[in-house]
Amino acid sequence: EEAKPAADQAEAKAAPKDMVLKGDAVCTQCHDETEVYPVLAIGKTRHGVMADKNTPTCTTCHGESKSHLNIPKGEKDRPKPERLFGMRPTIPAELQVERYFGLFGKNTSTPVAERNAPCLECHNGGERIHWVGSAHEAGDVACTSCHQIHTTHDRARDKHAQTEMCFACHKEQRAQMNRPSRHPIKEGKVACSDCHNPHGSAGPKLLVRDNVNDTCYQCHMEKRGPFVRTHEPVQEDCSICHNPHGATNPSLLKLRSPFLCQSCHEPTSHHSTVPEDGVAGGLNPSTAQAVIMARGCTNCHTQIHGSNNPTDGTGRGFRR
Amino acid sequence: AEVDELTELTKPESTVSVGIGHVSRDNQRFGQYTGLNENGTYGLVDLDFVQRDETTGTWLRLNGRNLGFDDRELRLEHERQGDWGYFIDFSQTPRFDPYTVTTTLSGIGTTTQTVGGSATAQQYHLKTERDALTLGFNKELSDNLGLQVRFRNEEKDGERLWGQGTFGTWRFLTDPIDQTTRQIDATLSYTTRNLQLTGGYYGTAFDNSNNVLNVPGCAIFTGCDQMGLPPDNESHQLHLAGGYDFTKTTRGTFKVAVGRITQNEAFATTPTAGAPGSLDGRIDTTLVQAGLTARPMSKLTLRADLRYDDRDDKTPVFTYFPLAGVSGSTTDGTNEPRDIKTISGKFEASYLLPMAFRLTGGVDYVEKTRNSPPVRSVSFRETTDETSLRTELRRSISETVTGAVSFIHSNRGGSDWLLNPLYISGATGSNQVAPLHLADRDRDLWRLTLNWMPTNPLSVSLRLDQARDEYSGRGISVVDQAVREGRAENYSLDASYSFTDEMQGTAWYSVNDTSLESVQCRAGAADACTPGTQQVWGSNVRNLADSFGLGLRAALTSKIELSADLSHSKVRDEMELSSIAGAAVSPLDNINTKVTSLNLSVKYALQRNAGMRVMYIYDRYRTDDWTWANWNYSPADGGTTVLQEPTQKVSFVGVSYYYRWW
Repeated sequence: EEAKPAADQAEAKAAPKDMVLKGDAVCTQCHDETEVYPVLAIGKTRHGVMADKNTPTCTTCHGESKSHLNIPKGEKDRPKPERLFGMRPTIPAELQVERYFGLFGKNTSTPVAERNAPCLECHNGGERIHWVGSAHEAGDVACTSCHQIHTTHDRARDKHAQTEMCFACHKEQRAQMNRPSRHPIKEGKVACSDCHNPHGSAGPKLLVRDNVNDTCYQCHMEKRGPFVRTHEPVQEDCSICHNPHGATNPSLLKLRSPFLCQSCHEPTSHHSTVPEDGVAGGLNPSTAQAVIMARGCTNCHTQIHGSNNPTDGTGRGFRR
Repeated sequence: AEVDELTELTKPESTVSVGIGHVSRDNQRFGQYTGLNENGTYGLVDLDFVQRDETTGTWLRLNGRNLGFDDRELRLEHERQGDWGYFIDFSQTPRFDPYTVTTTLSGIGTTTQTVGGSATAQQYHLKTERDALTLGFNKELSDNLGLQVRFRNEEKDGERLWGQGTFGTWRFLTDPIDQTTRQIDATLSYTTRNLQLTGGYYGTAFDNSNNVLNVPGCAIFTGCDQMGLPPDNESHQLHLAGGYDFTKTTRGTFKVAVGRITQNEAFATTPTAGAPGSLDGRIDTTLVQAGLTARPMSKLTLRADLRYDDRDDKTPVFTYFPLAGVSGSTTDGTNEPRDIKTISGKFEASYLLPMAFRLTGGVDYVEKTRNSPPVRSVSFRETTDETSLRTELRRSISETVTGAVSFIHSNRGGSDWLLNPLYISGATGSNQVAPLHLADRDRDLWRLTLNWMPTNPLSVSLRLDQARDEYSGRGISVVDQAVREGRAENYSLDASYSFTDEMQGTAWYSVNDTSLESVQCRAGAADACTPGTQQVWGSNVRNLADSFGLGLRAALTSKIELSADLSHSKVRDEMELSSIAGAAVSPLDNINTKVTSLNLSVKYALQRNAGMRVMYIYDRYRTDDWTWANWNYSPADGGTTVLQEPTQKVSFVGVSYYYRWW
């Protein structure tokens, strides 16, 4: 074989060049474009913006991993990097089937706290202040259980894809979302993160606002009042009556009228009326049928969330 | 232009997709939130434009989704990463009511509606639409200080199913909606390695263009010719939240917020003589929260949290509804300000055992205090408190099996029940029902989660939970009334399998079963429910759902990708009624609902960065819900009917061309 020119030999021996991140050559000399798993796709993301001084490098997240770079004497196989975030094999993140399942980054022996540490080095303020101590942190949820780092399209940050990712654990909500009465979750118009902050919050149930009602008022502010006539449970907690994740009952109600209303109201007057069979009973609505048919008790008590009409002839009843 | 492989792998790409789609028939459910509710052809237009200046780290993004549908979204974003950024976001959300209304009501959608006003009945499909415009700006003021401002304006217009009624007479109306909701959130964040603070202002305003619905000629009950509509209201809140790492293993967090909600809309109808012209409603809110997480030993983690949430209703009280002579009334005619104070806390300890098992024990406490109006219509207690004890054994670090088993026991009690005094006479009213959210309750919850990866291509996930609630009644009457027992059981099994690197499938199956048992006494006002004298009946309301889903992703060849998803839900609502004492009770039919959706998509690459996508959606909705089907409004209403098709089968076929560039 003909000897190569001296200049070419020098180039071949020169240190490999970085491909995306500062100092990434130590990794990308092996994990290059020939890799099936798109390691280099980090360059498409915000983590790949070199002009931002906060941008991490490969080793910021994965550790120096010296034994991975240079196999220690006596070792047969190459040890893994210091921190692994998931061992989902060679399939590009965009093609992985995670619509119903979403096991991403769980099957690694790196402890969750170690996996999360490099993320929290930078992402520790703002909406993530309450991460430590939150239900997800206590439940050993890793940042990479939800977020995909080496892809331009992180499903956790896409309203259309996010819900399926959450349903990987919250399976009851997955079933409820398909009920006839629901928010437009399937259509991507309402996402879990519209109401919940998965990184923790000062509110209950990781709610984005300080309590249930303040969270609901973001879209349903007409229910806030205060009104001349107020309905106590409405002011206290919307979720006493409603299930925001979906229901077969109209208006996301947990129970159908009159059963829901009868769970609080005294049996005076007509309140404990037995709902008769509306199917076999014909088309002439009696009081008994009216409590379960059409809008149920709200056939009469129209203003069930409260009324600001100061001239209610009957003094109560939310009827006008 | 051709791009090299490295650019394709490392630089952000832009995509545009243009095509047409066809909906096979008019429908009420499939297109409820997308606008694909009518037979016809629709445009398929999606856009994702991304441009990045590598030298400055400046991004320009334009993202459009469903631009040919009624639920279109468009967002423009411009930022210099790590420095400044702004965005404009537009989102449209329709909601088509799932019913077809046939009515003679005239004035639908307006604030004057005349019952029986049209000579011939007409058909309507009621609709509301939300158009939201969000503006945002952020600026890094220094290495540690950042400013973020968000403003959202949402217009909601349309009409909604409504009505009014009294015994034997029910009338159909529509709720005329012309509302604006505004929110502004401005925060300043200070972040260092150990200390993070974020504080600012959150303000909201609700503006309703319609404050009363006029119903000319209505005389079914006093004053029914004017129905109140939601009043304008607003809120202002100042907040500060923070976190501090005392040591590497100890962190504290807090949030403090003070706010005010006001409602001062002029009354739309003339109030009682001497009454103010508006409610002058005012609620002051206070939130204080503090949390501490510590790891005093390498294997022991402690978490504690305390929270105080106070809603102090300072709305002035006035007798808006004089009730002279109504001695048995359950109101004194005044407005009833509602104070609610919630104090909650939790403490948990978690210890790391051998083999990466972790044992956790904790206690949660919630106490709610409410004010009580001087005259009441339901049984009431001012304070409820609930204590939960929980334990969990978890293994979350393993390459093959992770999971947890947990148990929570909760006990809710409260202060003494207050008797319901009647207006004027002061006599005791009915006191037989312990309301659902106030009643004493014992709750047990079991939960098991298991994630198992027996082989590299196969993953299995199991989740089981079972909850049981037992409620105590007032204990006053012979038969304790209202809710007695609640149950919830949820079982889910998921599996995912990689047939090859190019083909993966998923499957899941869920059973959800919830029920609530109640007892009712068809009694009068007396504080007794005596079997043999009063009719006593029970209900067991149950919701039972079976759901499954299948998914497949496959790269069939280097040019063809297939995506297929099938989901199916079958839900049965049972309302089992029974006679406990007295007259027989007629049964209620079950309500069955089935929802099936098949979504197929095939992508064919014509070249490396362009291709065609063909999609097919089949959606089927079936219900035998009789609650509207057998309902007739009063004859005076003109015989309005509100119906939905019991079986709706819709197909959608679309074809689009996509192009990607870098």
